[in-house]
Amino acid sequence: MDYFFAIDLAQSIIDGLLFGTTYALIGIGFTLIFGVMKKLNLAYGAAALAGTYVGLAGSLSFSLPPLAVFALSAFGSSVVGYFVYVGCFRFTPDNYPMASLLASVGMLLFIDELIIHISNGMPYPYPSALRNAEITLGDIWIRGDLIFVFLICVLAMGFLYWLLYRTPLGLATRAVSQQPRAAKLCGIATEKVNALTFLIAGFLGGIAGAMTAAAVGVLSPIIAMGLTVKGLIVVVIGGLGSIPGAIIGGLLVGAAENVFLLLRGVSERDIYVMLLLFLFLTLRPDGLFGTTKSRD
Amino acid sequence: MEFYLGLLQILGVHTLLGLSAYIVLLTGQVSMAQAGFYAIGAYVSAICTAMLGLHILPAILIGAAVTAVVACIVAFPALRVHGLMLVVATLAFGEIVRLFFFNLDWQTVIDGKLIGPNGAEGFRAIRFFPENGWETGDVAGFIWIIVLCVMGILWWIDNSRAGAVLRAVGHDEIAAQSVGLNLTIIKVSAMTAGGFIAGLGGGIFAHTVTHIEHGIFGVLLATFAIAYPILGGIGSVFGTLLAVLFIQGFLIEGLRFIGDWRSLLFGALIVVAMNLRPTGLLGERMIYFKDLFGRKAQASNLGKEID
Repeated sequence: MDYFFAIDLAQSIIDGLLFGTTYALIGIGFTLIFGVMKKLNLAYGAAALAGTYVGLAGSLSFSLPPLAVFALSAFGSSVVGYFVYVGCFRFTPDNYPMASLLASVGMLLFIDELIIHISNGMPYPYPSALRNAEITLGDIWIRGDLIFVFLICVLAMGFLYWLLYRTPLGLATRAVSQQPRAAKLCGIATEKVNALTFLIAGFLGGIAGAMTAAAVGVLSPIIAMGLTVKGLIVVVIGGLGSIPGAIIGGLLVGAAENVFLLLRGVSERDIYVMLLLFLFLTLRPDGLFGTTKSRD
Repeated sequence: MEFYLGLLQILGVHTLLGLSAYIVLLTGQVSMAQAGFYAIGAYVSAICTAMLGLHILPAILIGAAVTAVVACIVAFPALRVHGLMLVVATLAFGEIVRLFFFNLDWQTVIDGKLIGPNGAEGFRAIRFFPENGWETGDVAGFIWIIVLCVMGILWWIDNSRAGAVLRAVGHDEIAAQSVGLNLTIIKVSAMTAGGFIAGLGGGIFAHTVTHIEHGIFGVLLATFAIAYPILGGIGSVFGTLLAVLFIQGFLIEGLRFIGDWRSLLFGALIVVAMNLRPTGLLGERMIYFKDLFGRKAQASNLGKEID
């Protein structure tokens, strides 16, 4: 292994770790929703994308500064997440998970088509912060916009931790995810908590979508599928229902993806990521931090 | 007329795809790997006819058999996990298959032309039907004979002890295990059967469109595969058939006149359908004529509601 290869490798791993925080956020969103509802929301990536487009609309029509665009994206995705809850989860029966699964697929197609319809399927430039800044450590360059992505995502995770562990709201959410019936008996309105979880998860998804678009520089409807698939992979690697697991899973997937990109090229990259996932599933089905109890 | 015969072909191959997911769903497993199985069947049988010069019938049977073997091998590790994890595991498998064909480059020279899977460009000129003078109607008839055979066999399985065993596993794994059913064997057999049917469907699909590429067999096709039986209801094979008619016939072809807004309505209608009929259009149980028109119809319907 020569020096330049080592530098390239270190560079890929650092870039991957920084960008991996967006995967971690999406993974956290999936984990949160699964935690309280015990159901899979396949429309989550699409909701995140829709929120990002709301931010883009703000940017195009009012020429907002980048930070306001990101905030608008997060809130927009939050609102879309609530609609997904009402459309797919609120009125479908609890004991028949396939109904909400398919409803969320329908919602995914609907949101995707709505975005394509409104934007005519064209990619649009998306603002980013600190694009021209960079940090140089010896021969390794760290892109300023990736550092910004990293910082925002870490901030969002900190906010989530504060919400879950320092507020009565978080207490109620954790209670519902541990034992919905007992939580109901204690007087917690589970439906409200469920709706709230979709709002919070949507917020995180919106940030992840905005940061993905900011790191890439353009926004197009294609990234919805990528967000969904990568988010699911992160959840499985980290362990279902575990937030630290989702964070570490996200960083791992981000780094692994970039290393495979360096070693095998863009067309084969995803094969190896999927193989990694398949290995994880067969050798360690509970993920890194999952418990056997969280599986039913 | 050509148009309707073409539509019949589409309905036929999609019914096979839906039925492949149906038999896996009976055991309570949501498999997103069906698009991958479909792709394997499509490529293998296309290789058999276009590159090795076989007749269509042995070609699709070889394709289906290869797919069944792959499904069986994949099922053992994949079925160690349940629910969400299985969705993700099978999704990953489907993507691996798709990306494998995306990178597959294997062409031979036949009649002075390069024929075979060519990476991102796909597999061109799978021209068995036009070369042998099959009309659109002949192809549609051929497809529907196979579809009806598969449906008949599945209907028979469903009404035999095997169907009861599959449904027992689907309803409650622990209860099924405690009456002495071997979960692994049952789930792996369902997956293998699903793989066989998907491979059959994929093989026919490849020959009707004459050109296949990796992009067709993505996550979207996999979601369609599970959408048919869930939307139609897993009570019987007719649920899947009805859902294929509803989605492919009504939502995709029938609503063409509303133009651009069709694709929007498509997703919205699925959401509405699942809210109104969460167990599918035909419900979770088999519907018999005697339930609808017989003397005991009233009583048995009441009984169902109590369940």
